[in-house]
Amino acid sequence: MITIGKLAGLTSVSNDTLRYYEQEGLISPAGKSPAGYRLYDRDSARRIHFIKHAQQCGFTLAEIRDLLELRSRDKACCGDVRARAIEKKLQIESKIRAMKAMSKALDQLIAECAKEEQPVQECTIIAALERANGSKKVQ
Amino acid sequence: MFYSPGCAACEDRQAELRAAARDTVSGVEWCDVNVLENMDAAVALGVITLPSIVIDGEVAFTSLPTKAQLCKELIERRGSRK
Repeated sequence: MITIGKLAGLTSVSNDTLRYYEQEGLISPAGKSPAGYRLYDRDSARRIHFIKHAQQCGFTLAEIRDLLELRSRDKACCGDVRARAIEKKLQIESKIRAMKAMSKALDQLIAECAKEEQPVQECTIIAALERANGSKKVQ
Repeated sequence: MFYSPGCAACEDRQAELRAAARDTVSGVEWCDVNVLENMDAAVALGVITLPSIVIDGEVAFTSLPTKAQLCKELIERRGSRK
């Protein structure tokens, strides 16, 4: 059994983050020391590594909690996890598409602004952004 | 209908929903689309959860509807196209 500080050192995660994970139900102490300090077992370290890897793949903490629950559920199968991975890939691909569209829009604005020495009041990029805002429907 | 292969819930309901759609709108074209083989199409249509049902190029359901919900949606869309 290890203290929160040791767990933080083992996993390269701050104490505050570990407390947050606990608050979010992602980890829980296995017991308490006689002095009342939280104590964690080795499974907590494994869970934290799992959380970090899943975050790198784009999963939110809520989704990670769901994955951790699946991991411990007897009736869950690989297909359940795979379905979540496919959905995450769809979300990432969708974001990439949106980012590409934004990048393309910026390319156009950059190309249209050919006069770098022009005063900022005449900046075509700012004017275009203002136009885009003005043309937005008010609901 | 966009689905991920291995989704037991999708497989169970696909045939039922397909039949309901065909019974509701004559000549309806129903496609079961494996999202892994058609990722670009799914993303282009805005599918981000599975299973999803896209009708006339729009995501109409982001989870499996009941037969009644699907039929209602199809009837409403058919009405608005007339």
